[in-house]
Amino acid sequence: MNAPWYKYGLFNDEISLVVAVLIGIGFGFFLERAGFGSGRKLAAQFYFTDMTVLKVMFTAIVTAMVGLYYLSVIGYVDLSLVYINPTYLLPQIVGGLILGVGFVVGGYCPGTSCVSAATGRYDGWVYLLGFVAGILFFGELFPLVEKFYVTTDMGKVTLPQLLNLPYGLMVFLVCAMAIGAFAAAEWGEKKMAAKNQGEIK
Amino acid sequence: MIELTTTRHNELIDPIVHVWGWEIPIYLFIGGWVAGMMILSGYFFMKGRGKEYHCVCYRIPLLALGLITLGMLALFLDLEHKFYVWRLYTTFAVKSPMSWGAWLLLLLYPTLFIIFLLQVPDWISTRWPILHSWSQKLRSVKAITKIVGMVNIVMGIILGTYTGILLSALGARPLWNSAILCILFLVSGLSTAAAMVHMIAKERAERELLARADNLFLFMELLVLALFFIGLLSSTNVQIQSAMLLLNGPYAAVFWVFVVLLGIVVPLFIQNLAVNHKIIHTPVSPIMVIIGGLILRFIIVSAGQFSHYANAHFIR
Amino acid sequence: MSSSQTSDPFTPKPYWNPYLSGIGLGLVLLAAFVIMGRGLGASGAFSSAVAFVVEKIAPSHAHSNSFYAEYLGDGSTNPLKDWLVFEVIGVFIGGFISGKLAHRVVRSVEKGPRISTRKRLFFAFVGGGLMAIGAKLARGCTSGQALTGGALLNFGSWAFMMSVFAGGYAMAYLVRRQWT
Repeated sequence: MNAPWYKYGLFNDEISLVVAVLIGIGFGFFLERAGFGSGRKLAAQFYFTDMTVLKVMFTAIVTAMVGLYYLSVIGYVDLSLVYINPTYLLPQIVGGLILGVGFVVGGYCPGTSCVSAATGRYDGWVYLLGFVAGILFFGELFPLVEKFYVTTDMGKVTLPQLLNLPYGLMVFLVCAMAIGAFAAAEWGEKKMAAKNQGEIK
Repeated sequence: MIELTTTRHNELIDPIVHVWGWEIPIYLFIGGWVAGMMILSGYFFMKGRGKEYHCVCYRIPLLALGLITLGMLALFLDLEHKFYVWRLYTTFAVKSPMSWGAWLLLLLYPTLFIIFLLQVPDWISTRWPILHSWSQKLRSVKAITKIVGMVNIVMGIILGTYTGILLSALGARPLWNSAILCILFLVSGLSTAAAMVHMIAKERAERELLARADNLFLFMELLVLALFFIGLLSSTNVQIQSAMLLLNGPYAAVFWVFVVLLGIVVPLFIQNLAVNHKIIHTPVSPIMVIIGGLILRFIIVSAGQFSHYANAHFIR
Repeated sequence: MSSSQTSDPFTPKPYWNPYLSGIGLGLVLLAAFVIMGRGLGASGAFSSAVAFVVEKIAPSHAHSNSFYAEYLGDGSTNPLKDWLVFEVIGVFIGGFISGKLAHRVVRSVEKGPRISTRKRLFFAFVGGGLMAIGAKLARGCTSGQALTGGALLNFGSWAFMMSVFAGGYAMAYLVRRQWT
């Protein structure tokens, strides 16, 4: 076991911030490469005309998931040292719904709005303004939702633990699901393109 | 870990004092910036580019005059006894960098004013026509332009070096006590000046020349930074500890991210593509360079005050 | 000037193949796991910034609110010296560099043809606000929860991801004039 490096004390907190910037550069770079600096491209996901969001996101999840699983199997990464957010099921579902609505209204998610702002999109900057205002709003009203915020606390729970399946099998299932989703996405895009062509004619 | 608090390790005996706030780093930054501008405008005049009406060299001196006044104001604000500032000018102490600086700053004004006179901007000469006639007289002798340019270069180099010497003369702070610091500040001054000047240059060829120069200065700055740290790291434990303040200690994140990465490497990368016509040039990289230079002064001044001889355990 | 200037060399290049950029993104995420033992994120950085400003304006108010207090920490370090804050700085730079290399840095507003700029900016603001509330309620946004938690097979993250798509598709028809 040699990784995560930071948890094994290879560098201190100060250097971890330098690492943060480098990883952030990579993150921003690939988000922009994928076209996530464009609100129109992101929103197209919700109109089935361009499934890039789904494709990129699931490819990224599968890549990282398989890579991490492999590295833990060969004993390089100690999986128990990788931080997992605890699950609070109800607030997360409600938050997810609100966030989904905000996504299609605003056109970005926080990470992609940074990329869109960096590439000169004014709506990206305004979105970020709205985001900051939203945090302030939430923060000020936090005492009112504090009770709801901590309901349905399930602790740190992963899908394999919940479904009582081996980790490897779960990884395989997610990969299979992703491939199915990719096939569906490609098929759907073609279908939509044909339909739109028909409308124009 | 210090298990036993001896007298020397007691923080009240060897206090870490930050007596210098924002004023000194601002002054050092502006000093270096103006020095770089003087060298650049001096170079343009020496090369005879001053004949061209739109040469950016005509717009530097006024900017430099304004900036150096701001810098002097910051320095003045830092003085404990503001009403005794005139006393600096009643004497000249050869061994005191403060005295050198005070006189140097006074000499800057005539130097900058003469180069400003070489071509007075229209909006000023219409208001004060006398300046225009002086300008005509100066330009009637060809050699004067060259000499004025040369004097500006020399004064610029002295000023730029001086901003570093001011710190390295303070032997009690191991981080500052390096002869390379003055070169570092001079090169950083040049890179920030080239960044600034090429933002205000109107001619495309001039802009490109300055952007190329800026790339060269940024590259040199990286080298000098490396030399600065090699010098400190190959010295005694105290110097090593003081270098570690920036490399690995409490200033590391800001140093690596804002000075090295955002202040030098990223703008160098973007600007290099831009001067080779791979991408469109925008003011983003020069602005990053200028902010990086500013943060460099802040971090060196702040970390320097943190570094200490008596107590090498300052990284707690 | 080079001779290749005849046709505009600075027209935006096409985006990468989504699977290719997805693999790139996944490798960055994997690097974060291996190097740091944590995933990516974005919304937390803005929370730190907001908490920092609130603390500067009204210190006692900020510390009495457990939401702000979480981001302020014990006061030994500056709340802006935070991993996510620095990561987001990187996101801006990485996005800018990528956009610059592909000539995609353009001052513009992303919108469909049937909506005015002013309305689009209003929607962007409202969407940002909603997104903040959702992200804070769910303890993370698309990067922190869906992407990172998704790869870690975190149950809550998958539940979150499904509800994001559900919310988005449910709302899409109502705001279709903005995009199509």
